[in-house]
Amino acid sequence: MKKPKKNRNVGIIGVGQTIYSSHREDVNQAEMVHEAVALALKDAGLTRDDIDCVVHGNMELFEMVHQPDIWHTIATGAYGKSAFRLTTGGTTGTTVVCAADNLVASGLYDIVVAIGFEKLQEGHTTGGITNMADPLWGRHLQTGALTDATAQAMIREFGEERALRAAMRMRVQMDKHACLNPNSHRSFGLDYSQIDDLMKNSPRLVGELRLIHMCSQSDGACAVIFAGEEKAKKLSDKPVWVRDHITVHREETFTMYSLDPADRDPSSHRIAAQRLFERNGITNPVEYFDVFEMYDPSAWWGLDWLRDFMLLDGDEHLKMVENDEILIGGKMVMNPSGGVVAANPIGATAIVRVAEAALQVRGDAGRHQAPGGVRHALASGFGGTYWTVLVMLEKDLDWQEVSADG
Amino acid sequence: MAEFFGATVEDVFKTQDARFRAEDAKGVDAVVAYDITGEGGGRWRVTVRDSRAVTEKVTGSDFGAFTTKITTDAETFIGVTVGKIDGTAAFTSGRVKIEGDMKIVALLPRLFTKYSPPSRGVSARDIIATFPERFRPEAAKGLDAAIGYNLAGEGGGQWTAVVKDGRLEMREGLAENLTVNQTVGARDYVDLMLGKLDPMVAIGAGRLRITGDMEVAKVLPKLFRKYEPKEVERGPELIVLKKTISVGMRFSTGPVMGRFLEGLKGRKIFANVCPSCGRRQLPPREVCAVCRCRAGEFVEVGPEGVLVNVEICYYASPDPLTGETRETPYGTSNILLDGCRGTETFWHYIKREDLFDVKRGSRVRPVWAESRTGSVHDIKYFEMVR
Amino acid sequence: MTEGSVWRLYNGIDPPAAGGFKYTCQSGRETETGPGPGAVTAAKPAPIRKGGWKMIKRVAICGVAQTRYESNKWHQRMQGMALEVVEAIREQTGVTYSEDGGINTVVTCSDDVFDARTISDNAMTDVVGAHYRCEEKVAMDGINAIAYALAIVLSGHDDLVLIVGHCKESQSESRNTCTNLAFDPFYCRPLGLDYLSAAALQARAYMERSGVTDRQLAEVVSHARRNAARNPLANARQPLTAEEVMKSPMLCDPIRALHAYPVSDGAIAVLVAAEERCKEFTDRPVWITGFANCMDSYFLGDRDLAGDFSLRRAAEKAYGMAGVTGAGVFDLVEIDAQYAHQAPMWAEVLGLCPENGGGAWVDSGGLDAANVNPSGGTLAGNPQMLSGLSRAAEAAVQLRGEAGGRQVKGAKRALAHGTCGPAGQHQAVLILES
Repeated sequence: MKKPKKNRNVGIIGVGQTIYSSHREDVNQAEMVHEAVALALKDAGLTRDDIDCVVHGNMELFEMVHQPDIWHTIATGAYGKSAFRLTTGGTTGTTVVCAADNLVASGLYDIVVAIGFEKLQEGHTTGGITNMADPLWGRHLQTGALTDATAQAMIREFGEERALRAAMRMRVQMDKHACLNPNSHRSFGLDYSQIDDLMKNSPRLVGELRLIHMCSQSDGACAVIFAGEEKAKKLSDKPVWVRDHITVHREETFTMYSLDPADRDPSSHRIAAQRLFERNGITNPVEYFDVFEMYDPSAWWGLDWLRDFMLLDGDEHLKMVENDEILIGGKMVMNPSGGVVAANPIGATAIVRVAEAALQVRGDAGRHQAPGGVRHALASGFGGTYWTVLVMLEKDLDWQEVSADG
Repeated sequence: MAEFFGATVEDVFKTQDARFRAEDAKGVDAVVAYDITGEGGGRWRVTVRDSRAVTEKVTGSDFGAFTTKITTDAETFIGVTVGKIDGTAAFTSGRVKIEGDMKIVALLPRLFTKYSPPSRGVSARDIIATFPERFRPEAAKGLDAAIGYNLAGEGGGQWTAVVKDGRLEMREGLAENLTVNQTVGARDYVDLMLGKLDPMVAIGAGRLRITGDMEVAKVLPKLFRKYEPKEVERGPELIVLKKTISVGMRFSTGPVMGRFLEGLKGRKIFANVCPSCGRRQLPPREVCAVCRCRAGEFVEVGPEGVLVNVEICYYASPDPLTGETRETPYGTSNILLDGCRGTETFWHYIKREDLFDVKRGSRVRPVWAESRTGSVHDIKYFEMVR
Repeated sequence: MTEGSVWRLYNGIDPPAAGGFKYTCQSGRETETGPGPGAVTAAKPAPIRKGGWKMIKRVAICGVAQTRYESNKWHQRMQGMALEVVEAIREQTGVTYSEDGGINTVVTCSDDVFDARTISDNAMTDVVGAHYRCEEKVAMDGINAIAYALAIVLSGHDDLVLIVGHCKESQSESRNTCTNLAFDPFYCRPLGLDYLSAAALQARAYMERSGVTDRQLAEVVSHARRNAARNPLANARQPLTAEEVMKSPMLCDPIRALHAYPVSDGAIAVLVAAEERCKEFTDRPVWITGFANCMDSYFLGDRDLAGDFSLRRAAEKAYGMAGVTGAGVFDLVEIDAQYAHQAPMWAEVLGLCPENGGGAWVDSGGLDAANVNPSGGTLAGNPQMLSGLSRAAEAAVQLRGEAGGRQVKGAKRALAHGTCGPAGQHQAVLILES
């Protein structure tokens, strides 16, 4: 596959997030979006007049608002500006990031704000997700994003005790991070000593997928401001560079179950990671990345996907969790924000991953900042039927010579 | 009894029946057992039946038969009840445990109006602190007295108001030679001051005790201007609109899905086959996603097969096509029908009675519906071949 | 056509077609009002930057395919419609899905509410060829998908993009029910506003400002049908006299039933490539030389409904990019008029006729003189999500000289216009050159 050659560099110069909460009854959708946009503008030291273009996205059937960018114009600052709307389900947040990156890199716009939002409290989340399935078939069978197929596969591969324990350990690790993040929707103060209790007593959703494993249903919005290299350097003293991004979708039908694991189609996560890292000359992602903000809708998926995204083999991903290597201060910090299990306003969730990764690179993440200087960060989005988007962020522009050769 | 967030567990259950909303309880028949653990806890049983609610304290360890049991500690229970602790978070983190029918729990907020603790926000201590500003020197002329306030409980304490030469001095603690001493619970004191509790009722019930010089006690109310509670600082009440949005839809089935659904009417399961890689697709798709070509001929597969992935769902979610909540647990499976290979599985329900007997690899067969219309429901479910 | 059938056609409430299945999609909603809609008010926007745009490389449309547009494609799912145009593009251009040099990026265009599916592009991954590839959905009028594809190519992220737009307006019981949902749930939605009633308010405002008459609007429809008769893909091809249009019932005063675009189903595919790739796919590339879009404010009361705000800003910027000075340079203009009054109203803004001169321009044969909507335009029937994309597709077909009976001879430069949102809240202008 051909390596993209970017027309011009694009930097993130502003980030705005609302708090994430199960109830934002104090604001309507537009007001909530406006909070995030206003915070991003403030972070970037810009005003609405400086923005050339607004990219907006979410999932319409959660709130049952058709093309909500129309109404949200009063909140996004799109009035009198160029405006796009892109939606790809759970990956929407990263899709608007990719779009903003493309729009700025193209030279058509200098400063673009990407916005993701969701107010899940206003509809039925599981029902809304179930609506993604074919109305003639899967819609009758699906239960939102709830499945324990991954849990079963991991139990078969690593044994029940080790798999259950590793998944719950990751859940506790994510909660430890969430407790440091003031925007978290859910921070329980979980401790490793609770692992046994939670493994047995947390209510089951589907099989071994238990309530504690699963992400929340949150209200929230996130906005990120992108600028071309020249302006980014002028406007920000620490722009975060978007090095590359990749989107990999897969077909709608779930042709992913088989009696023999060898029959399984390759994971879209692994394919995305392989393609992205290959064209950027990255051979050892665990060594390369300082922080990985993963869209982890459940602890099971988070654990399983760590292997795919980091191109690991065997039980290397379990060991990373068991040895606390993904904790803040560890070898490769995963979700210092607490991740999606801590807050999940779906249309915003993926852009939050990018926003949080950018804050880490800037060193502005506050109490959940990974120590030691974050230079390379990765953010992922998840949606649809195992769709994936990866976005690579860099502190410096020095990677360009490296990847130009490789 | 231990108080949390300005209320006790007893307070909550005492008002339970009065907060019942019969209009939303039609057809509800449930017994909810509450096992509130730790300090300030206890056991209660709330029965909702025939549009009536009865709340009883349970003595002993046996709740009797119940539909749903909720176990949590007193602080969490009150916190969730008064809205200070997020209920879902408490449940998720294991601080609230629920046994039995989960649906009732989701229904409870509609069956009972929200409990609000009395005189929220004002404590006895707050009121004592307003004595100097409410003192009326003109009413205290010639009075020389030490008046004790012995207010027990959260927000309470002991104070002595020393009145002499038309002046007031407040001291912490009870003085040795009190002219008048008043002993009352801090919460009752607040209610007395707010006019919510009648002093004569309180004395009669033994909740307020006044000892010492009763002549002095009689002039006490004149010594201070009436206590006016400050406006409780609350935001404006925001309106939440509830709407059910329904857009009628008419979905075409097209020649591919249509053929498949037509097959189901005749008790046949058709896959379509990729002319390039031979993959069989269930349900059939217009193309083979892998080879990016139009899928070709239809072949009958199954109807029997083996289970590849079994999912038992405990989460009660609505069917978005009907709005009705599915009965749990229910099981779905990806089934490798005879004639299919690898990942060519077929997604459907497992018979409820077989749920805990089947496993990966179990052999199953479809159970067809009596009347078939060309829909997923033409097959009721797959049952185990025993 | 009887009055009853007109009503059915425009309200989309004809009985289920043979082989169709009727389902309802519903879910409880609780919507917070917050302190009040409109608490966040729009300030006066900064002036738009005109000119000075230079595209780093040339990007072209290398292939265009459209289905026939029909009022009810009951025989096809949206997947079937999309597959038809994807196959046509592959046939036409010889493009492959090879990882090395084939299509790796697909931009779809549709909308979850019209499709009645959360993440409706989920249904399309396989038919658009995006299995293990990139697919991104532009959830607004598809003319903006062309702009997004342009940005992808200019950015260097990819050099080849397939656009696939699809919409089945016939699927929902009423498209007005869908567009009613675009309004805030507290104020505008309960008032019953939808894109039709918003357009009617606009039509009234425009008629009062410009003096355009019911007869002139009827002439616009008659002209659209005349052109559509030469377009085998158009939905509404039956010729109509102005008198017939004027006799059609009021749909939403002053919009008559025949002033509104008919409920339509269809799909479009467009292949966009960087200059260095074009010759692999076509010897008649159509260059994208200018594009801009612009959003107006939301509340109808905040807007001058018959005004020019967002379209003027989009047009000025697009003209600046393409280095053109006015509408006179276009050999044809495809205007996305979903309702009759929008054709003269927006022609005024684009510079095809003087302000308030739209009515006289129609009377004096301005539509034909300027080659406006040789395809018949949206009034001949394109689904709303594709109304601008089909304008762009038609303009490209003209510049490729492939328009058959509707061909504008020697067409070298064209303007395609697209709009979405109520009463043209969002406007886009695309300039194409052969």
